[in-house]
Amino acid sequence: MISKTAIGHLVDKLSAANVASEKEDLLVLGYDSTPGVHHLPEVAVYPTTTAGVLDAMEIAQHEGLPIVPRGSGTGLSGGSVPVKGGMVLCLNRMNRILEIDEENLTATAEAGVVTLDLFNATAAKGLFYPPDPGSQKISTLGGNVMEDAGGLRGLKYGVTRDYVMALKCVLPDGSILTTGGKSVKDVAGYAFKDLLVGSEGTLGIITEVTVKLIPPPQDKRTFLAYFNDIRTAGEAVSKIIAAKIIPSTMEIMDKATINCVEDYVKIGLPRQMAALLLIEVDGHPAMVEEESQGVKKILEQVKAAEVHVAKSVEEANSLAAARRTALSALARVSPTTLLEDATVPRSRLAETFAEIERLTAKYGLKVGTFGHAGDGNLHPTVLCDERDSDEMHRAHAFYDDLYDQVLAWGGTVSGEHGIGLAKKEYLARQIGPGGVKVMKRIKDAFDPKGLLNPGKIFADDDPCTQAHVEEGFRVSH
Amino acid sequence: MSPTEKLGNFTAHDAPDYCDVLQCMRCGFCLPTCPTFALTGRERSSPRGRVALARAVAEQKLEFTEAVKEEAFFCLDCRACTTACPSGVRAGEVMEICRSQAHQFFPLKHVGKSFREFVLQKMLPSPDLLEHSMLPARLYQKLGIQWLLRHSHLLKLGPEWVDKAEGMMPELHPPLRPQLADSIPAVGEQRGRVGFFLGCIMTLMYAEVSRQTVRVLTQQGFEVLTPKAQKCCGAPHLTEGDRDTARRIAQHNLDLFMALDVDAIVTDCAGCGAALKEYEELLEETGSHDKLAAFRGKVKDVSEFLAEQGLRTEGLKPVNKIVTYHEPCHLCHAQGVSKQPRDLIKAIPGIDYRELNEASWCCGSAATFSLKYTDESQQILDRKLQNVQSTGAELLVTANPGCHLQLAWGLKRAGLSQKVVHITELLGMAID
Ligand SMILES: Cc1cc2nc3c(=O)[nH]c(=O)nc-3n(C[C@H](O)[C@H](O)[C@H](O)COP(=O)(O)OP(=O)(O)OC[C@H]3O[C@@H](n4cnc5c(N)ncnc54)[C@H](O)[C@@H]3O)c2cc1C
Ligand code: SF4
Ligand code: SF4
Repeated sequence: MISKTAIGHLVDKLSAANVASEKEDLLVLGYDSTPGVHHLPEVAVYPTTTAGVLDAMEIAQHEGLPIVPRGSGTGLSGGSVPVKGGMVLCLNRMNRILEIDEENLTATAEAGVVTLDLFNATAAKGLFYPPDPGSQKISTLGGNVMEDAGGLRGLKYGVTRDYVMALKCVLPDGSILTTGGKSVKDVAGYAFKDLLVGSEGTLGIITEVTVKLIPPPQDKRTFLAYFNDIRTAGEAVSKIIAAKIIPSTMEIMDKATINCVEDYVKIGLPRQMAALLLIEVDGHPAMVEEESQGVKKILEQVKAAEVHVAKSVEEANSLAAARRTALSALARVSPTTLLEDATVPRSRLAETFAEIERLTAKYGLKVGTFGHAGDGNLHPTVLCDERDSDEMHRAHAFYDDLYDQVLAWGGTVSGEHGIGLAKKEYLARQIGPGGVKVMKRIKDAFDPKGLLNPGKIFADDDPCTQAHVEEGFRVSH
Repeated sequence: MSPTEKLGNFTAHDAPDYCDVLQCMRCGFCLPTCPTFALTGRERSSPRGRVALARAVAEQKLEFTEAVKEEAFFCLDCRACTTACPSGVRAGEVMEICRSQAHQFFPLKHVGKSFREFVLQKMLPSPDLLEHSMLPARLYQKLGIQWLLRHSHLLKLGPEWVDKAEGMMPELHPPLRPQLADSIPAVGEQRGRVGFFLGCIMTLMYAEVSRQTVRVLTQQGFEVLTPKAQKCCGAPHLTEGDRDTARRIAQHNLDLFMALDVDAIVTDCAGCGAALKEYEELLEETGSHDKLAAFRGKVKDVSEFLAEQGLRTEGLKPVNKIVTYHEPCHLCHAQGVSKQPRDLIKAIPGIDYRELNEASWCCGSAATFSLKYTDESQQILDRKLQNVQSTGAELLVTANPGCHLQLAWGLKRAGLSQKVVHITELLGMAID
């Protein structure tokens, strides 16, 4: 338990308004968007400056308290869940956009800035920050960097990593490190910046992020293609890529997802179709025209049931917005939505859909699948009830089998949500004991006492840090 | 859940349904739309946090503590989270039920209790008492009904509260209800007959607005019946957590209006409309299902009704004004009526309509909120006023008395020139 004096020190340094230790405050900081994982922290702090983060870090180190950084808690692998208690360090009050540099095409913002806010601020200056996770309205830049978030535009524009130019962070030893800068090239020493991206809050706490901006595409066309068979949709994606066309977006939704999303958005999505693809091509108008023709031709070739073109920007935006609600909308159907993040080489998409169908039948489950098809990144989501332990076991068996196949095809267990608590065993399966050992050595070098976001990424035997997915909302304190 | 089955640490009477709290998958889509979270950045003051607190109480991870009560009352009940939630969770309603729980766990001290009971159980349910009331008229004038509910705090309040309450009051006219004839005939070709539900705040404080509503309805070809025996809609009771009285008056209003031969039950108060539409759930344990569904099908906000029937535009005078529209939470979030008022405004000739940025963001009035949490309400209001100002509008249209009060007061205080009008007042300007 944290001592009264330690809380006193925190209040002295950060002010009472930025320190919370009431149970009701702590209880709601013990979860993120991952089902079934929850743990009470002992104290929560809301620093508003890098110096404040450092102060909190020092006090926690002195007390031997685990420190768990938290953005908006939309993570899908349990990354910000304080499984060993300790201090949750919330960055959502560090939410200033510090600079938009129109000469160098960069933006610098505090880690708690919401992704969409940065997008809007740069768009207002005629610039473009592409990474757009489904959660962009809520997620923070710090969280995006730490999970290396992808998004709907990842296919053409890449993921968060591709835009990070510099990071300011507080390391567990109390040093403040700035790595990278506004220069477009930088090979001075080890690429710490790249190591930090995707490190899930286990190596350091990011306080500022500098990202690259690009000029926005001049033109855009949005297609909606319907399919009678989801495998055909997978085939269409593989063929478009093989035709050397790179749309900015190729998102898929299966029938279950279409119906849940339509229940919420009510924009006339085709409830009876087996799948739909949302495809966007953008760029120079001439190129958009040419690629649109190419996309259309392939959709005809594979015999898509229907192909529609969005008539206005508003219509295109509402389709993308509808797609972003897929995961939450699936949650309408059942109390628990267990989602995975399997990613395969894109030529394997049709087979992956077939495998998902086979396993769904084998385990007698209800599954909704959606995802960034163009990236080969699928989110098969089991719609279940955490109170039904038999069903939860079948759900886990489903994922076990699926991941074996995905790995056999050269895929990965996580395309964008990270390992966190939920996928530790799968990581070990993917990279082997040698890989895990090296990663652990890196972790030790940054954080010898193991206080920064403990229990994440690496499988260990501590029962506290296992994902008790079948037990639901737990408070183990 | 049956009324006698106890859910975790909640009391058996009026507890949330476990499925409703389990439904939240914690995606956070609601976070950016919640005014109280925007103010504090504190998770427990967000819809996701509030539902998690309710869930923890249900799962016996937490007692029903003071802090849970605090969050239930700090919630504006603006329902922005309901609109935002793709999973169909209704955090605002869960909090409304928690208010009822709060009164069971933390009963008021004697004086406060009897006063609250007097207002909620005697005065509001009785229109005559309300209008001729034994309370000095000046008290209305200075303080308003909602504020009386907070009476137990009366003596502890600083002068700024009294000032605010005073500044908020519009000029009062005699209550409208006793003046309206039971039936007012349609003008021109009759298109139908409606029952008019006249909210307490409307009759007492915005009599002239509701007079316009009736005029617009009749001019549009509808006969208007206003049963005198109607009572408060029950919204103040639900907000204050007195669900038993709410059920009693809901039953009364339901029976009264269902006995009328009308095509629709129309109201010009978004708060009342939202409450009337929720009778179906409120009375589901006791009422006849068919009757409730029929009632629910008839209740319409006046904008919703006119848009559905189609506005008769022949003979409308041009209104040459720059106009913007603030969406009352209880219209857009609680009733899903958002496009209709805009369509009506745009149908009036001469209007230069400007969309308001963050039009559906709460104005901070939210029932008693503006008097209870003065600072927070002010910050929410400032955000709204800034958006209003940048539209360059001359008229700010809205459709709910709570918003009307708050916005008019805010504009006046900030020295801004915009005038606040109810949508039927605007329509009234176009009708000779
Ligand atoms: C509906 C929905 C849709 C989603 N769609 C996508 C999608 O399309 N693509 C995608 O990639 N992800 C998606 N996600 C997952 C999630 O939104 C992303 O992982 C996001 O980047 C998390 O941001 P956050 O601010 O919520 O971080 P959190 O969940 O709070 O934290 C994530 C991790 O980062 C760490 N962390 C957070 N901030 C810092 C910091 N400043 N310094 C150090 N560590 C930190 C935490 O400890 C944790 O390990 C989605 C989630 C939801 C709920
Ligand atoms: S209330 Fe709805 S939008 Fe908010 S976190 Fe829960 S599921 Fe998501
Ligand atoms: S009703 Fe309004 S104030 Fe209450 S939780 Fe929902 S959005 Fe927030």
